[in-house]
Amino acid sequence: MLSLALSSRPLTFLRPSRRKPTLHRLLLPKPLATATASASALTPLTPRFDPNSTSGPDPDPTPLFLRPANHPVPAAALDAFRHRAAALVPPSAPHLHHQLRWLLADAIAAGDPSSSDTALLRAPLDDLEDMWQQHVGCRRPFQYVVGNEHWRDLVVAVRDGVLIPRPETEAVVDMVRKVDGFADGWWADLGTGSGAIAVAVARELGPQGKVFAVDVSEVAVEVTRLNVQRYGVQDKVEIRHGSWFEPLEDVKGKLMGVISNPPYIPTDDLPGLQPEVGWHEPKLALDGGKDGLEHLLHLCEGLSLVLKPGGFFVFETNGNKQSEFLVDLIRTKWSSSFHSVEAVLDFAEIKRFVTGYRR
Amino acid sequence: MARALLLLRIARYPPLPAPPAPSHPRPLPPLLRRHAPSAIRFAPFSLPASSVSTSTDASSDGGGGRKGGEEEGCGYVDYLGMSDEELMDQCEMGTFKASGPGGQHRNKRESAVRLKHRPTGIIAQAVEDRSQHMNRASALSRLRTLIALKVRRPINLEDYTPPVELLQILPLKSTVRGKDVGPQIGPNNSKFSPGMQALLDLLFAVEGSVSDAAKILGLSTGALSRLILSDDSLRTAANELRASKVSRKICAVNIYSLTGEYHITHSKHYI
Ligand SMILES: C[S@@+](CC[C@H](N)C(=O)[O-])C[C@H]1O[C@@H](n2cnc3c(N)ncnc32)[C@H](O)[C@@H]1O
Repeated sequence: MLSLALSSRPLTFLRPSRRKPTLHRLLLPKPLATATASASALTPLTPRFDPNSTSGPDPDPTPLFLRPANHPVPAAALDAFRHRAAALVPPSAPHLHHQLRWLLADAIAAGDPSSSDTALLRAPLDDLEDMWQQHVGCRRPFQYVVGNEHWRDLVVAVRDGVLIPRPETEAVVDMVRKVDGFADGWWADLGTGSGAIAVAVARELGPQGKVFAVDVSEVAVEVTRLNVQRYGVQDKVEIRHGSWFEPLEDVKGKLMGVISNPPYIPTDDLPGLQPEVGWHEPKLALDGGKDGLEHLLHLCEGLSLVLKPGGFFVFETNGNKQSEFLVDLIRTKWSSSFHSVEAVLDFAEIKRFVTGYRR
Repeated sequence: MARALLLLRIARYPPLPAPPAPSHPRPLPPLLRRHAPSAIRFAPFSLPASSVSTSTDASSDGGGGRKGGEEEGCGYVDYLGMSDEELMDQCEMGTFKASGPGGQHRNKRESAVRLKHRPTGIIAQAVEDRSQHMNRASALSRLRTLIALKVRRPINLEDYTPPVELLQILPLKSTVRGKDVGPQIGPNNSKFSPGMQALLDLLFAVEGSVSDAAKILGLSTGALSRLILSDDSLRTAANELRASKVSRKICAVNIYSLTGEYHITHSKHYI
């Protein structure tokens, strides 16, 4: 198991068979030329999950930490599980040991196992065992296994089919907060995914403020709805299903800001991705087409139409190369429309973001 | 909330002036230089209260020698009085895994945060929380604790009155603690750090003597010992102060910063 956990590809028989078919991608009307082009450019990654697979029921899509706590187990059994699970991962992988703790933190509803005989769990031990196995054995992202990601001060629900929000992206919210008068403006989070950015921004807004959370993926829209509800920001977040600027016709020229973390990985790089990402996360959320710039360029082009004068934008990018390219492009080609365009570093000192203002 | 696991590097007091230009580039120093906390070795306080009476052995013959002007009259900044944002502004934030392209490429919950407080060189780090943001918050609160533990401010014992932050962490029976000070603040409260800093300043001024400090604070030696024992890091720091009695000297300390520059400052330093 040890080597399996660290390096080997999942064996076919271990492949989780309960994946929800990602039909939304096939069923959607083709919105914009750019979006369509990149959708067709998607390269299947290995292994592929058979969308027609019927083996096994859909898993409970409710994140573990939100499930009812109705599985009492003897503390000793829980302890035994803890040891078995820990034995599956080497001591040299501290993050896996953290994750095991987090799995248990999400699963245990009551009863500190060290001080009582029974623990109350949100899932049967067998399920936990299965979850752990999916993670260390099949490289299924831990966040999909437990159904959440801790992001900023939020616990964001996630599931197969939406991108797991990344720690780098946390900084976007701080940039938004620094914009003069941001709290009472209208914002758009384009490609909202789990809704992480939209919810985090919404929570900072004043009475007039609002976020339009846009995504072309139905799963994203569903998950965003859940997160919006969980944080009680329904009156601040308006979810719109569609491609980039298309669902925003009615707010053209009215936005104080546009935020987007669009798919930016060059198509050619997709096959080499870390298994947790390449095998499990939606290509729709990752594939940026040739050079990874397809969506970013489309967004840059549409910006000046939706932003009001003085409006702010922040895009996440693949790093130095893309950021430098975009800054250069906007400064030269669209210098009449934008000012103070710059690349902003992430915590690892990579030029991760491009920000600027509409004139 | 999971308590952050911390690896620390420690710079010595007094607070340094802002680092001068990095004129002496050096290879990255090893994780812990010789200033690693040395507490447990001397650990009279690591035993239950019965052993703390040995603290009287350390009673001071006066604070001589330590107010010899080496602090150079620089104003002592009340770092702990600053807001999180102000403190953050004085920090460089770094993380560890800069390898690889990051962002959408990666699924790694290595959201460790390292804060380096520029004025003091103190570094606090947190890795265990589940989000970057929360790790930053843990690192910041850890930084406050470290500042309390490591940054000593001189006290003039002749006209000393304990500051209110210190009074707040004292047990109610203290005779110098007025009624209006409110309930006793314990180690889990974020307001404990400033009180702890003031307490260590006092212990430092009396050369680590718990009984002397107790007198000044209107407490029995036992009561003050119990307060010190109530928090592991406070106990450790107090032990260091006591141990320092044995081999205190003034010497030049190289304080290595993360980026490799170092500066020399005159500072008290314990072997
Ligand atoms: C990298 S993910 C970002 C998700 C989320 N904002 C975050 O930062 O975690 C990109 C998102 O863009 C969405 N997307 C892809 N093509 C789109 C399009 N044409 N219009 C709108 N959203 C799109 C994907 O569904 C995905 O949710």
